[in-house]
Amino acid sequence: MGGVEAEARWNIIQRVKRVLHTEKLEIGYENGKPARKVISRGLNLELRQGEFVCLVGPNGAGKSTLLRTLTGLLPALSGEINLDDNPISSYSRKELAHQLSVVLTTPIEVGAMTVRELVSMGRFPYTGLFDRMSDHDWQVVDEALEMVGIKDFGGRMVHKLSDGERQRVMIARALAQEPQVMVLDEPTAYLDLPGRVAVMSLLHELARDHGKTILTSTHDLDQALRIADKLWVMSLNGEISSGAPEDLALSGEFQRVFAGERVQFDAVQGHFSLKEENEGVALLEGEGLARLWTERALKRLGYRVDLDYQGKDEPLRVAVFDGGDGLHWLIATEDGHEAFASLGEMADYIKKNRVLKT
Amino acid sequence: MGDNKQQAVQTSNRKGRLWIFAILFLVLLLVVALNLTLGSVRIPLKDILGTILGSPGIKDSWVYIVRSYRLPKIVTAILAGIALSASGLQMQTMFRNPLADPFILGINSGASLGVAIAIMGSTMVGGMFLPAVSSFGELGIVLAASVGSGIVMALILLAGRMVKSPTTLLILGLMFGTATGALVSLLIYFSSPEKVKAYSVWSYGAFNGVTWQQLKVMAPVIVFAIGILAFLPKGLNAMLLSEDYAKTMGLNTKRMRVLILLSASILTGTVTAFCGPIGFIGVAVPHIARNLFKTSNHKILIPAVIVIGAIVAVAADLLAQMPGSQLVLPINVVTSLFGAPFVLWVVLKQKRGGTSFNV
Repeated sequence: MGGVEAEARWNIIQRVKRVLHTEKLEIGYENGKPARKVISRGLNLELRQGEFVCLVGPNGAGKSTLLRTLTGLLPALSGEINLDDNPISSYSRKELAHQLSVVLTTPIEVGAMTVRELVSMGRFPYTGLFDRMSDHDWQVVDEALEMVGIKDFGGRMVHKLSDGERQRVMIARALAQEPQVMVLDEPTAYLDLPGRVAVMSLLHELARDHGKTILTSTHDLDQALRIADKLWVMSLNGEISSGAPEDLALSGEFQRVFAGERVQFDAVQGHFSLKEENEGVALLEGEGLARLWTERALKRLGYRVDLDYQGKDEPLRVAVFDGGDGLHWLIATEDGHEAFASLGEMADYIKKNRVLKT
Repeated sequence: MGDNKQQAVQTSNRKGRLWIFAILFLVLLLVVALNLTLGSVRIPLKDILGTILGSPGIKDSWVYIVRSYRLPKIVTAILAGIALSASGLQMQTMFRNPLADPFILGINSGASLGVAIAIMGSTMVGGMFLPAVSSFGELGIVLAASVGSGIVMALILLAGRMVKSPTTLLILGLMFGTATGALVSLLIYFSSPEKVKAYSVWSYGAFNGVTWQQLKVMAPVIVFAIGILAFLPKGLNAMLLSEDYAKTMGLNTKRMRVLILLSASILTGTVTAFCGPIGFIGVAVPHIARNLFKTSNHKILIPAVIVIGAIVAVAADLLAQMPGSQLVLPINVVTSLFGAPFVLWVVLKQKRGGTSFNV
């Protein structure tokens, strides 16, 4: 008995069950201008049970189009989407709603409705014509509220919630549909930083602890890298590469897809940073925190701090020391040095000199 | 603990709602009773029941006034109030726009054009294709008004898929209204004076003048369209979120839209045919219902707009008779005098210019 359960659990952990996969899927729009716009073709994607997958890519790559196609809101141009190895075209809308639920980007605008009422809408595919809720239906609703951590919000009005709380409610609504797969389109788009972190870790939890299969698009690459089981990286030409975040970082996939934008992927730190202009090398003297933050300021200004620089070009020589009355910075010049009492002043001097040089 | 509290909140909500419904029914009874007693001839309240039942010792003239004039008028008002409010509610949800209603979106004008063609078109086409109103009959007018409103509603619906902004949609409705108004003017220009008179009397709007005979057509048609609506609260609730959400919840949104279109245009068309174009009840009553019951749930809103719609229409008719005077105003004057400021208030109350249904 326990063996079977353990095995089932191991299967979920191993993510052996293929829940959704596409075969040579072609996505895009028809009847538009131009008449047929293909965004992506030949997609062979796969979602396994209990997996938390983040879809990332530059703006305009077609992330929303892909998600809309996978959820059946937009017809595929060609190819097949399979749910449990059956093409989704063989499911009725209602049957599909039992398997798959969504959270969309656009904030909803219903006012006079309690949280519990809204979440109970997730039971629509299960209730009859007149939407009579059974005790079991209400139980599922309350469980969904509990899973997203808003158990005590049931009686509150939806329009009085914060954006982050409302997004939790929408996730609870999607959970109340008891789907195998949840698809979310930029669920953190309207949230502040703590809100974004909270929603992403909630999704991560739902996949890890409740075996839900979750696919979400996000702009939050840092978060996605840290938290997702797998990433789908969509590039501007519509290609999608899929893999563990770490593998994609190692293979240089991130650098390639996001090349040309104003950020670059820092493969050492594992996050995105401002693209550095290469102004040359700086030699830095100093210690401790003061050294650390001076180094960051120099990096921001486009200098690479090198300890044993052997090149021909004259490096920028910077020193930081504590003069007893606070920190001081020195920059070597042709005829001596310039002194500064703050990094801001030093930065201004460097920028001014750069302008004068050109 | 939390569950118990929520359960308690829910039962207290349900009790509160039942109370509001009970009070609304009393108010309805009150306005109906007032409407029966007041008017150019005052009939004491205590004699009303006797008059209806035909008890001995009641003046014959009273019996005539109540049975052939006031009662059919009140029944008409109740039916029209229900129909306009229900159609307004459906349209506000479908267009996701708190200002949508048959009058504002120009659907009434479509009905007007249909009726104008039915009454006056015979002059233009020499009576060849369209029979005159006498031979056309009540059902013909209902049909003409319904087809007219249906066509405009379908046009608005098409436009609504392309433009998302509620303001643009309202302007579109206004344009449809102006265009159909121009066509009606054209018909009037070429029509004989008596037909023009018949049309303009119709266009003032009135609950009186509908006979028991005509009610035999009006009532079943409205009951039928409300019957369609009775099957829609679940779908309407889903569409509150958005059409995309509704689809992913398994709703057939295309069929839903057709059913709403059908129900709303039959309701609007029928009322417009029999009572003339009556404004503002359709936009105002759903708002009153949402504010009173503090909910957007159509399972509660549909019965709510039915009762409130009946109250508002009967009360408007009461005001139109200017109690204490011999003057009777057209219904449209009353609904517009109260309705226009109401719409202004709704527009100003909207925060961030959104399409929210917040109360």
